[in-house]
Amino acid sequence: MKQSTINTGQGVSDSVRAAKPVDRTSFAFRAKKDWVQNWGLYLMFLPVLVYFLLFSYKPMYGALIAFKNYKPALGFMGSPWVGFDQFTRFFTSPFFGRLIKNTLFLSFELLIFGFPAPIVLALLINEVQNKHFKKTVQTLTYLPHFISLIVVVGMITDFSMTSGLFNDIIVLFGGSRSPLLQNPALYRPIYILSDIWQGVGWGSIIYLSALSGVDAQLYEAATIDGANRFQQLLHVTLPGITPTIITMLILRVGRLMSIGYEKTILLYNPSTYDTADIISSYVYRVGIQEQGWSYSTAIGLFNSLINLLLLLITNKLSKKLAGTSLW
Amino acid sequence: MKKTKKSLALFVAASMLTGVIAGCSGSPSSSAVPSGSTGGNVNSTAPSGDSEPQEFTYPMTGEHAITYWASLNETVSHDYTNLGETPFGKGLMENTGVNITFQHPPTGGAAEQFNLLIADGSLPDVMEYSWQTYPGGPEKAISDGNIYALNDIIDQYCPNLKAYLESRPDVDRQCKTDNGNYYMFPFVRGDPGLQVTMGLMIRQDWLDELGLSTPTCIDEWHDVLTAFKEKKGASAPFAYEFTMGSLTNNMPFAYAYNAPRGFYLGEDGQVHFGAAEEGYKQYLTTMNQWYSEGLLDPDIATASFDQVSAKMTSGEAGASFGWAGSRMGVWTNAAIATDPNFNLQPVPYPTAKAGETPKMGQIDNLVPNQGGVAITTSCKDVEAAARMLDWAYSDEGHMYYNFGVEGVSYTMVNGEPVYTDLILNNPDGLGIAAAMVAHIRGNYNGPFVQDLRYLSQYYTIDGQKKSNTTWTVATAPNYALPPVTPTPEESEEFSAIMNEINTYRDEMTLKYILGTESLDTFDNYVKTLEQLNLSRAIEIENAALERFNAR
Repeated sequence: MKQSTINTGQGVSDSVRAAKPVDRTSFAFRAKKDWVQNWGLYLMFLPVLVYFLLFSYKPMYGALIAFKNYKPALGFMGSPWVGFDQFTRFFTSPFFGRLIKNTLFLSFELLIFGFPAPIVLALLINEVQNKHFKKTVQTLTYLPHFISLIVVVGMITDFSMTSGLFNDIIVLFGGSRSPLLQNPALYRPIYILSDIWQGVGWGSIIYLSALSGVDAQLYEAATIDGANRFQQLLHVTLPGITPTIITMLILRVGRLMSIGYEKTILLYNPSTYDTADIISSYVYRVGIQEQGWSYSTAIGLFNSLINLLLLLITNKLSKKLAGTSLW
Repeated sequence: MKKTKKSLALFVAASMLTGVIAGCSGSPSSSAVPSGSTGGNVNSTAPSGDSEPQEFTYPMTGEHAITYWASLNETVSHDYTNLGETPFGKGLMENTGVNITFQHPPTGGAAEQFNLLIADGSLPDVMEYSWQTYPGGPEKAISDGNIYALNDIIDQYCPNLKAYLESRPDVDRQCKTDNGNYYMFPFVRGDPGLQVTMGLMIRQDWLDELGLSTPTCIDEWHDVLTAFKEKKGASAPFAYEFTMGSLTNNMPFAYAYNAPRGFYLGEDGQVHFGAAEEGYKQYLTTMNQWYSEGLLDPDIATASFDQVSAKMTSGEAGASFGWAGSRMGVWTNAAIATDPNFNLQPVPYPTAKAGETPKMGQIDNLVPNQGGVAITTSCKDVEAAARMLDWAYSDEGHMYYNFGVEGVSYTMVNGEPVYTDLILNNPDGLGIAAAMVAHIRGNYNGPFVQDLRYLSQYYTIDGQKKSNTTWTVATAPNYALPPVTPTPEESEEFSAIMNEINTYRDEMTLKYILGTESLDTFDNYVKTLEQLNLSRAIEIENAALERFNAR
């Protein structure tokens, strides 16, 4: 770090000398100055840039086939244009309504129940005084994050069977045994609870780091003013981490509609399609299993559009209501 | 390695489906491919085609290398990560003189990886796949420019396959397209005894103990299962992997009502869709009754192989449905250690009413939809690929694929091949199936003609030995739909229709069985199937059948 400041110091004087007749406010001048000052940082940024160009921007060109009837043999350009046919097929599909409904419900329930969970956990951990207990809890809650999804779903499936652990617990509380994963009404609760279980510890890390950034003087002042712990939480801690929460929320909403298909296709079965079948699992069935490239791309594109829209709306709302936003 | 491949596949899959197609690096090799017209004359692309078939002897001389994509049989993958590492694979290369690099998709991910390879266009030289499921059919695979029509290649390099097909017109008809194009080196069930592979099985020791006789009709099954539940305390008297398509397509209790859930050939010579017929309603009514009475596995919609195995071997279930080898044999061997009386026996296909003769049952086509190998248009050394594959249909290759190496894995006794102890009592403690798959392909599939003589030695348990005759329904072939293929134009429409119909059918079937939907709504269900354009799908299948019959 030190070295780079020295470098830039020399760099500035060099460039200033060389660029005497140039307008100092012009873009070219500023860009050059910036480059000379920060070339090290740009170099560090380069891999990120390449990554996004390669994996996020270049593939966008592929979205073209949503408007084509893509045949691998004919290639991207050779495949015939079909306009909005693929979209029409999706919108008129008998499953369209259900797919949208299920995707929205699952997304919003994941947001409502899943989003606050790590915040609550972080706040709870933050209140714990015993250091060893704190570390133990943190480690234990991280652990599920490192279990492969396939294993997690395998566990859920086994536990949900009539002779499984969940049913043992239900019986313990006086209930009766039933195959839980065959009940459409239970599908989403199982999905969401297991999601929270798996992600809550990992998700709380960012909030814990935000919590450690809250100024300790504020707590002292609050204590002197007679605030109890709960009031401190309400008036010092929460406002302190609000920017983090908002940022995380906006990012989360931006991904609202794009729930991965992996967990769904592992967890659902035809008897729970009613509540379980979502856009991405449908795309998986049509696209990967039946080579409906164009069709599934069209659905994916439609999905991305909704995501973009949600992101814009949330950002706008948060700017208005909370004064924080992504841009 | 496998993990990486799988996650890579998943990653690619994921990126493709968010509207971000990753495989866009220019158009695939297609432009260089002599695709197009139906004839598919491709001999010009085969390099060094001047060696005369008559003069040719194995192994091939010179350096020949090809890449060979195939899913690795699960039993093989237990001990080997690559078919090329098995004694079978090594011997195949030695005998044919072709150096083969095998590429395997992750277990269970074959269709996914196949589709991604096709989309990407960078194909291995030869690919083993269920080619009849190629979207649009094999003819489409040829016209898409992905694989070669083999007619000229067979004429030029494959005297063995050619002679075999000429001697078996019934096989010949099943391994070409409507246009007369050969597209694969087929897996052939070489004997009618090999075409029946799955059926019902029951705990004979329980039947004996309870003084019951083998059930033959639905009512008798009901009584037996009830007895299992009440007297043997079975919590899932009848359990099998309902979610496994290949099994449920052949559900014996649906056959009892002459209504398998998919397409079948009716007595009127037309294609029928069982799941839309009255018989299917009767089947569902029975299943629903059994489910509500606790005679079926309560976890029917989620139970996988492991869970069914646990139930079968622990006495929670007393009857099941599946294969003689990978189900009956596996369960018997696992259970007999703790319960020496454990005795699974095959049960004939049931009838709806007592005293009837079963009409329908599971029967594979002579050329089943598995194990066929096609040569892709990416293949540079077509001759080597063709010769390597053709060897399997020679006398020598036939013995090699089915029995292995004489003196090592089998010996000739009175003119019949008999497996040695290397297979039957493996010194390294491998089970028969595991020892077999290391040395042969006869007990699963691949591009060769399967030999019945392996079976009697493979089946070591009493129940298995009887399975074939017990499960054979004499009239079953009359109802089996031959491997028909829609035209490329129709197939897109067909698969779009069937995707929705199958989704809806599977969902409703389970709802009716579980009782979450009343069977009074069956008429509406049939109406919905019609709205999903079932009649058009049947029309396409009928047209395909007509073309098949005209072959």
